Amino acid sequence: MKRKFACFAVTLFLGVTVSAQVVSIQFDAGTFKVAGWKPPAAAPSKGWGSVFSVYAGAGDIPPLAGAYNVERDTLIFRPSYPIAPGVRYRAVFRPPWGGAAVEKTFDGPHQDKTPSARVEHIYPSADVLPSNQLRLYIYFSAPMSRGESARYLHVLDETGKDLQGAQAVFLPGEELWDPNYQRLTMTFDPGRIKRGLTSNEKIGPPIAEGKRYALVIDRDWPDAHGASLIEGFRKSFRGGPAVRNPPDPREWRVTSPKAGTLNAVVVDFPTAMNYPLLQRMIQVSGAQGSLTGTTVIDRQETQWRFTPHDSWKTGDYRLVVDTAIEDLAGNHIGQPFDIDTFEHVTEHITTKTISLPFSTR
Amino acid sequence: MRRIAFVSTAVAVCLTAALAFSVTAARRPASPLADLPSGKVQLMSAGALAFGPEGILFVGDSVGGAVVAIDTGDRKAASAAKINIQGIDEKIAALVGVTPDQILINDVKVNPISKNVYLSVSRGRGPEAMPLILRVDAAGKITTLPLDNAKHSSVSLVDAPKSNPSARQDPRMQTITNMNYVNGNVIVAGLSNEEWSSALRSIPFPFKEAAKGATLQIWHSSHGRFETESPVRTFVPYTISGQPYILAAYTCTPLVKIPVSQLQPGAQVKGVEIADLGAGNQPLDMVPYKKDGHNYILIANTARGVMKLKADNLESYPAIDSPTKTDVAGVPYDTMTNLQNVQHLTQLDDSDALIITGKTAQPAAPAGPINLQTIALP
Repeated sequence: MKRKFACFAVTLFLGVTVSAQVVSIQFDAGTFKVAGWKPPAAAPSKGWGSVFSVYAGAGDIPPLAGAYNVERDTLIFRPSYPIAPGVRYRAVFRPPWGGAAVEKTFDGPHQDKTPSARVEHIYPSADVLPSNQLRLYIYFSAPMSRGESARYLHVLDETGKDLQGAQAVFLPGEELWDPNYQRLTMTFDPGRIKRGLTSNEKIGPPIAEGKRYALVIDRDWPDAHGASLIEGFRKSFRGGPAVRNPPDPREWRVTSPKAGTLNAVVVDFPTAMNYPLLQRMIQVSGAQGSLTGTTVIDRQETQWRFTPHDSWKTGDYRLVVDTAIEDLAGNHIGQPFDIDTFEHVTEHITTKTISLPFSTR
Repeated sequence: MRRIAFVSTAVAVCLTAALAFSVTAARRPASPLADLPSGKVQLMSAGALAFGPEGILFVGDSVGGAVVAIDTGDRKAASAAKINIQGIDEKIAALVGVTPDQILINDVKVNPISKNVYLSVSRGRGPEAMPLILRVDAAGKITTLPLDNAKHSSVSLVDAPKSNPSARQDPRMQTITNMNYVNGNVIVAGLSNEEWSSALRSIPFPFKEAAKGATLQIWHSSHGRFETESPVRTFVPYTISGQPYILAAYTCTPLVKIPVSQLQPGAQVKGVEIADLGAGNQPLDMVPYKKDGHNYILIANTARGVMKLKADNLESYPAIDSPTKTDVAGVPYDTMTNLQNVQHLTQLDDSDALIITGKTAQPAAPAGPINLQTIALP
């Protein structure tokens, strides 16, 4: 008897009793339902939204987008988009027969904000970067939120001052991610890198030779689920001399593996190269076409190693190098980042790839 | 027999012809709508927008590496209304059921026929973000553009690498920064998250499976001595001395004019720098317009506010061929100090523009609300 009374009291609190009917609003499996009344077969002249709406937020906002239908004397609202964590939904039923609206609020699923992501690597990995360094790659262990770098990524000078505004080293508003949002590419201001441009003349390059800097990533940078990083990250580096000469494959040292082994073919570069481009712009080709294997980039991006899945056979192979491969300063084969037309830039390679032969014995 | 449709009398057509190398142009159907099949629009992201003929909306899908043409069905001619929506991010968030911090507005364009406003939006900030196209009508009502069964077609911008046929997993991504439809062609500017150089593409529309468009390698002489291959951030077609040009604002700040006649397939094109818009800055959007008998271009920037470029007689400005003593040089402009925190700018009609404003989150300061606002072209 006591339980029946309690149920009745709850019903009165949540619903409206009309003609012995009790209207109740339920939230079930991502849908909102109004039960306890007999909805008309057809939508009212002003649409079902005039009777029942769900609001995801407060203030002057439109109702949640979705579709209505009637099933077994229940008006059902199915949102067009998935129910989201962290959102409070306010469902409002306005009885077509007049009287007070019935409201009920529901919370979306629990938002797990346990930190699980961290900065795994930053490339270039060296602690001396050329003053015309073009790009920086930050690898996270899990997908991140975009549009946050201005807030959580800082470059400090040697006094600890955050370089912002005209002194900012990165291009403002330029966040480039990979499709998984785990690798962020930041571009140093090319206007300050290119010789002859006003910014380069007046402010100087983003990284000054001989000066010390720190790249700081705040722990609060939210991952794709809104959780902060496990820990912040700091990389200290010093400005080095500019790299003006484009990569020249004639200066690369190729070490051939022995036939019959699974040893790596190794390429050593005189200066560090762009890490992501090294990963995909050198292929190994043999008599049977391209080889499959594992690539390792080492020694602060001055060494590339390829270990084939199958043993080397005695014979001739070649490294096929995309001429778009870049060093740290954006110079690519046969083409400096900024061409000085007063110098002789004669090495224009028109083919898209070059071959570096090697033999296994 | 295929032929290139060159008609030199009209500037716009001339522009098309030179850009379009498009051998498919000759037999273009009367209405491009005829070629658009119905079905679910497969968008992996929604970024840069551009309107084509008959209410066709082009959507740049950087993650999917494609441009998608969608028939909006929005072809009822109307004059522009002055739309002002405070906290449009909060309203969009409520419409699609997320918190406002999970809404990112990627681009805005106005349907030139209906004057309805279209927004490309991300619902979420991570890789699972859902791409949305939203429409704002003259009354300020926001609705989502249904994509489940729409007339549409798409063209891929990238070939999946042979070693990794799943483009989704390929870390290399071409981000589409700006698009314009120029009389039969979608001109696409973009940049890559890996290599520096990035080409301008010209894609004939209606899209053909085999024709992904021509790529153009554009150089600009940065103050004469040094030349650079560089990504175009935003651009507009523009007529100078009766000749068609593209005015392109680069990632590295210069405003460069490129004669359309030089844009040939595979060509290495040299543009001429006619203005330096200043340091530490990215141009975002450009709106060319006429007022009181003069030509202007309104340029929104990341760090240097909104500029009103005086665009009369652009032919009279010599190439900037030496580093300037001042911070800026070339074609003069005024900075519109009354327009702050502009993230997007687009033309509404001959006398008005739309801006989306909002403070970017900074250390120790949260982002402010995002507003959609109509402004008179200054």
